[in-house]
Amino acid sequence: MRLNILIGGKAGQGINKISAIISNALSKQGYFTFNYRDYQSLIRGGHNFNVLSISDQWIASHESKIDGLVALDELTLKLHKLELKPAGFIITQKGFEDLGRNLNVALSGALIKILGLDKKILLQEVKTQLGDEAAKAIEKGYNSQKTKFSLKKLNNNITIMSGGQAVSQGAINSNIDRHIAYPMTPATGVLHELSRMQLKNDNLVVFQPESEIAAANIALGVSFAGKRVMVGTSGGGFDLMSETLSLQGMSEIPLVVYLASRPGPGTGVPTYTSQADLDIALRAGHGEFPRIVVAPGDPIEAIENTNECFYLSEKFGALSIILSDKHLAESEFSLNKQANKPLRVDVKRKLPGKTIVKTSSYEHDIFGCTAEDTKIINQGVQRRLKKYEDIKKEVQKFQMTKLYGKKNSKNLIFAWGSTKGAILDAIKDLDCKFLQVLYLKPLSSEIKKEIQKAKNVILIENNVTGQLGRLIREKTGIKIPNRILKYDARPFRSDELKIQIKKMLK
Amino acid sequence: MTATKQKLSTKYPITWCPGCPNNLILESVKTTLSKLIDSGKYKHQDFAMVTGIGCHAKIFDYLNLSGIYGLHGRVLPTCLGLKIGNPDLSVIGFAGDGDAYAEGIAHFIHAGRYNADFTYVVHDNQSFSLTTGQATPTSQQGYKNKSQIFGVVDMPLNSIKLALATGVNFIARAFAYDTKHTAEMLERAIKHRGFSFVEIIQPCLIFNLDMNNLNKLFYKIPVNKDKAKAEKLAEEWNYNTKEGKIPIGVIYEAPSSTLKEKYFRKSASLKK
Ligand SMILES: Cc1ncc(C[n+]2csc(CCOP(=O)(O)OP(=O)(O)O)c2C)c(N)n1
Repeated sequence: MRLNILIGGKAGQGINKISAIISNALSKQGYFTFNYRDYQSLIRGGHNFNVLSISDQWIASHESKIDGLVALDELTLKLHKLELKPAGFIITQKGFEDLGRNLNVALSGALIKILGLDKKILLQEVKTQLGDEAAKAIEKGYNSQKTKFSLKKLNNNITIMSGGQAVSQGAINSNIDRHIAYPMTPATGVLHELSRMQLKNDNLVVFQPESEIAAANIALGVSFAGKRVMVGTSGGGFDLMSETLSLQGMSEIPLVVYLASRPGPGTGVPTYTSQADLDIALRAGHGEFPRIVVAPGDPIEAIENTNECFYLSEKFGALSIILSDKHLAESEFSLNKQANKPLRVDVKRKLPGKTIVKTSSYEHDIFGCTAEDTKIINQGVQRRLKKYEDIKKEVQKFQMTKLYGKKNSKNLIFAWGSTKGAILDAIKDLDCKFLQVLYLKPLSSEIKKEIQKAKNVILIENNVTGQLGRLIREKTGIKIPNRILKYDARPFRSDELKIQIKKMLK
Repeated sequence: MTATKQKLSTKYPITWCPGCPNNLILESVKTTLSKLIDSGKYKHQDFAMVTGIGCHAKIFDYLNLSGIYGLHGRVLPTCLGLKIGNPDLSVIGFAGDGDAYAEGIAHFIHAGRYNADFTYVVHDNQSFSLTTGQATPTSQQGYKNKSQIFGVVDMPLNSIKLALATGVNFIARAFAYDTKHTAEMLERAIKHRGFSFVEIIQPCLIFNLDMNNLNKLFYKIPVNKDKAKAEKLAEEWNYNTKEGKIPIGVIYEAPSSTLKEKYFRKSASLKK
């Protein structure tokens, strides 16, 4: 069973409220949801919409054809009518014009009725959270419709989480002490979430400085002083940090970076999605130094990978980058399982205040003093090289790749990050397997093995040049000729992707 | 040399030019720190320093203190990070005028506002010396250098005025050759609660020689706590001329709440 409901209107009309109310009610009923948020870079007006996808099984994508259209304005109707399936339903603001701000809750009520959900729990919640007027609006919406579906109660225990909330949770699980960030969509969600979490975590301090350059250097100072720290940013801000990433490489001060991409170059398409920043995650910063780049594909992985990054950075004095994007960061997923037990992140380094410890952006000797002598330079270079070898060994204990689908199929799909959800939903009954690459640096040796076993390899990425494909070619010498690339700043929709994959299967 | 001064020194060979006043600044820093440590109120291991990149920054290798030899222009955020990480560290940042007023000026404007409790020492030699003498924002008009063969055409930046305008609550100026006075300024700055800014006028013996013979212009002022007076004092020298008088001393000092009080109010755990 699968339904897709598109809820659209102007920014400020409260479409997120509707999807939140409905997904909340649905998860209580035991249904899985996935909420895609499509919004423009403006605060009021324009055209925004969410696609709320609903299923009795775990899903992590939305589809292009919709079963229901909830239109808070005329434009939504005009723009999305053609996406409606023949038997699809439409709810508009007609009849609710007098409700003002409560239009969104009224439409939620209408939707609840159509889906055949119990309104009692909802009514109670709305009453306490939004007051009596809103409760009346729900009632009015509810009574305006007939039930079309009857979503019987299922026995699933579901919580809802965005990728950004998951990164924040992973940081909290790692006992993060400081988050330093300058606002930039789509990384801002974590800044807001962690800021809120200060209320419950006394040792957490969130600081927003004057720029990303400041943020990165502050973070190194914080970390050197012995605290667990993460910076968060997106493409342009990450570019500004790159000199400091290089300083990290030389000074070996632990640093975790949350990089949530959006389409570039330049300011690009700020509130939309893209996987075009793998290259900079892998390479930003001059000189040669080790790093870890991990790209989670869903919130559970985001929780776990974030914790792994804190662990690895602290253990090795290394740079870890959690690579996400708008689609993962801001879409809302249903979780049906628990994340692994977090690894402890203990600071066991020498710290200022306890002893004398020096580190430097210059090549330096064991005391931290500047060195230009070839012997010490060689030692420094070798130490950094060896560190990467040690990291490579350590990450073996994590899931660097994951294999899904028909394990002995000759068709093999490669992808990373936020495309995971759409791919899993697309291949449910196709003859193929899917290797998800979580660790992009170091890269798993499984990749080459799987490619060699397969007859037909397909690369799926949300960018125009196939950056994972290039990385695999660099590491294995193997070129992946079949590629499904999407670069219109929108994520894959699983029904369309399924058709594309089918065409390429052998 | 006292025992404490010895402990504050490293064995690292000094690579400043012979006679460079950076040596004197190093000496003043050691004098101040050893006095503070010997007083029993400060512990050697509680000090941490951050340096930029330039001749001045070599002080990192010569001082036996914890710290980060950071990036050009990024002394302030790195110091701020140390304080946000551990508010109990006594942090000193050393920057050049290129570091402080060119590459890193964006951070300087916010330092007074944040008012984190650390000391920022700018070695102002009115030149980018380590990169062989190009002009900085405090170089005087007419200064001919390798990248401006016709000489500097822009008016210099008055860093003291800028500090006053951006709410810095401790501003002092010192002259590198007067080590006793410099040490006193450093001591006052370190003891000040909140962000403290000390600009040390430091002739470069190789580049921008025109600004070398200012000695006669300096005069000492008593600690000033009056903002209007501070503004007048800041106006007395514009970094451009070799005329008039150049006040050295505490140009402005006022009490204020520090970053620690503002940000860590809620948390007792940080005080450990
Ligand atoms: C980002 C960056 N840009 C440029 C440089 C090159 N550089 C090294 S030292 C220096 C100038 C230093 O001048 P100043 O800060 O005044 O220090 P001084 O050498 O005069 O003590 C420059 C530009 C650098 N290291 N980093």
